[in-house]
Amino acid sequence: MVEAVSKAAMASRWGGGVSPVGVSWNKLMMWLFIITDGLLFAGFLAAYGFARLATETWPDRLEVFHLWFISAMTFVLISSSATMATAVGAARQKNRGLVTRMVTATLVGGGIFLAMQAYEWTTLIREGASLHGNPWGVPQFANYFFIITGFHGSHVLTGLVILAIVAGKAFRGRLTDEGVELAGLYWHFVDLVWVFIFTLFYLI
Amino acid sequence: MGKDAEEGGYSVYWRTWGFLLVLTLVMVVLDQAAVPRVILVLVLLTAMLVKAVLIAGTFMHLNQERLSLALTVAIALLATGAVLFFLIAPDGLRLLHMKN
Repeated sequence: MVEAVSKAAMASRWGGGVSPVGVSWNKLMMWLFIITDGLLFAGFLAAYGFARLATETWPDRLEVFHLWFISAMTFVLISSSATMATAVGAARQKNRGLVTRMVTATLVGGGIFLAMQAYEWTTLIREGASLHGNPWGVPQFANYFFIITGFHGSHVLTGLVILAIVAGKAFRGRLTDEGVELAGLYWHFVDLVWVFIFTLFYLI
Repeated sequence: MGKDAEEGGYSVYWRTWGFLLVLTLVMVVLDQAAVPRVILVLVLLTAMLVKAVLIAGTFMHLNQERLSLALTVAIALLATGAVLFFLIAPDGLRLLHMKN
């Protein structure tokens, strides 16, 4: 009876040697990483939501931020996601030239985004914003801003390093399509987090 | 090979890019318009979730993966995030009332 049950278990999807969710271990681990890293940002944004509810007033976003500049940043990041998705598709079709071009375009887009973020930070710091205070009446506002966008920016920077490695490997013809896909998953995750930050911090 | 031929198999990504752009523009324009706060927040949150689904589904290929993977990701992130926020939000409001 025990043997029959264990044979049935070994033959099932959970018996070993097969991934239950139908993806390779590499991809599954990237998704698990994305989930855990996403929870980091979920924690930050939940804390920010708590702070907003617990504070009577909050700086007017239209006075603090240059919304069209931030929108341009969003446009750049979304475009870089589209070029990365094209790169992943090209990798599946073994089109090495297109992979190299699209990954490079993604790299450029990410670099532009970081440069724009640095410009925004510089502007706000020059206006008096810091981790300790700011001129807009709510002491913790700038703290939340720098922590949340700073963590996101550091993820973008890490993504740029990964993309540079991928672009170099693609150029030398030493890249697997799975490698491009995993780098793509990370980059799209960075874009996804920005969608949430842009809406919850800048717009609401 | 022209640009169109190159992009022939990739048009779904660029259509998604177009949708995302339109959604973003709508969100930004609405944010600066004289819209009642509750409606603005609801519309922005809905648009945000639509953008998230588009990126996760199309760019990250979750719409081609097994449902078990998509649900693992969605429930882990959205449900946990919602629990994080909605369980501590009443404390935030309580703090506000205490201050007043």
